[in-house]
Amino acid sequence: MSETTPAPESFLPLSPAVFHILLALADDEKHGYAIMQEVDAMTEGKVQMGPGTLYGSIKRMLAASLIEESDDRPDPTLDDERRRYYRQTGLGHKVLNAEAQRMATLMRLARRKNVLAGIG
Amino acid sequence: MRGDQGLPGPVDLSVRVYSTLLAAYPGRFREEYGSQMLQVFRDVCRHEYKQGGLLGVTALWLRTSLDLVRTTVEEHIERGIEMDREKFVKWSGWALMAGAILFAAGLILGNFDSQWEDPIGGVDAFYEISQIAGMGLGQIFFVIGLLGLRSGYADRSGRLGAILLIAAITGGVVSLAGMTVMNTSEFGWAAWMSGLLALTLALAAFGLVTMRRRVFSGWNFAPLLAGVFLPVLLVVGLAIESSGGTLGDWIFVLGTSGTSIGLILLGYRMQADIGTVPAPIA
Repeated sequence: MSETTPAPESFLPLSPAVFHILLALADDEKHGYAIMQEVDAMTEGKVQMGPGTLYGSIKRMLAASLIEESDDRPDPTLDDERRRYYRQTGLGHKVLNAEAQRMATLMRLARRKNVLAGIG
Repeated sequence: MRGDQGLPGPVDLSVRVYSTLLAAYPGRFREEYGSQMLQVFRDVCRHEYKQGGLLGVTALWLRTSLDLVRTTVEEHIERGIEMDREKFVKWSGWALMAGAILFAAGLILGNFDSQWEDPIGGVDAFYEISQIAGMGLGQIFFVIGLLGLRSGYADRSGRLGAILLIAAITGGVVSLAGMTVMNTSEFGWAAWMSGLLALTLALAAFGLVTMRRRVFSGWNFAPLLAGVFLPVLLVVGLAIESSGGTLGDWIFVLGTSGTSIGLILLGYRMQADIGTVPAPIA
């Protein structure tokens, strides 16, 4: 049965949790705790997801085919067999890309309007 | 749950408490993600204890409590909405089937009244009442069925499919409104007929979308079957009348039956597809 893929733009704007999870999975697959650590490090502790937010988002992202579970274990000897690993799908990558472009457009607009003057 | 060996006391206690609190989530969510959430909480708790001792664990609990309250409410609401939507789609499938039978019965009985001159002994009112009740109720059920069709399948029908479903619902409402004023307003009949025509044409076009995108788990031809007969019947009838003839009763019965069969198949598919209809993407 043929499935039609929804347009990446139809998912935008992403919630902060979904955006950060996709961003954390941009390099390689990760389990839940590793995603949390990555988000914490990326945002310098400004975004701290609880387990409920993390797995609620993962549930919706799996249903929307933005991520998928992976059977691979980067290093089976170092890891707990029960952990589930997640990775971006092709659609997830496109959605992240579209969201980043949307944000870049907003940033350009903010710069043009001098909103960022005196920041950073 | 047994305590983890080697975990410091406050961490072990926290994990036990969190494990108990997971019961607040809906069963299906807990079964799917509960153990993963507990594992993550254990990891974070261990880390916080190592970094900040009891103060770190207390700060974690403050964050986790807020997360727990917010996400349990979210998951319960989402599950509730999903259940309601599934129920609505299921019942609207039955409404479409009932509407198809009532509408066909009303239309065919109405045809007896006008053309066969009361074959069961001049009980004209019987046919008229059957026609009004059958077609009226039938069309109310159509609108309910089409609303359910939109609720359950618009997401996977693409933009065109969603627009066609709105057109079909609008046609159904216009037709129903026309029917209620048919006896008092000269526009009633025109509104009834044009609404019905819009409904069936939109449904037939929606059928092309469902066949192309395989929207249902089977019988994707059903909307086309349901929608194509009445417009064809109208065109054939007008062609015959313009050449001086009249539309045969058997053609009328065939057209109405075809429409009803298509709607029954569509309604059956809607209520049988429950569980396979995905939730809208959040």
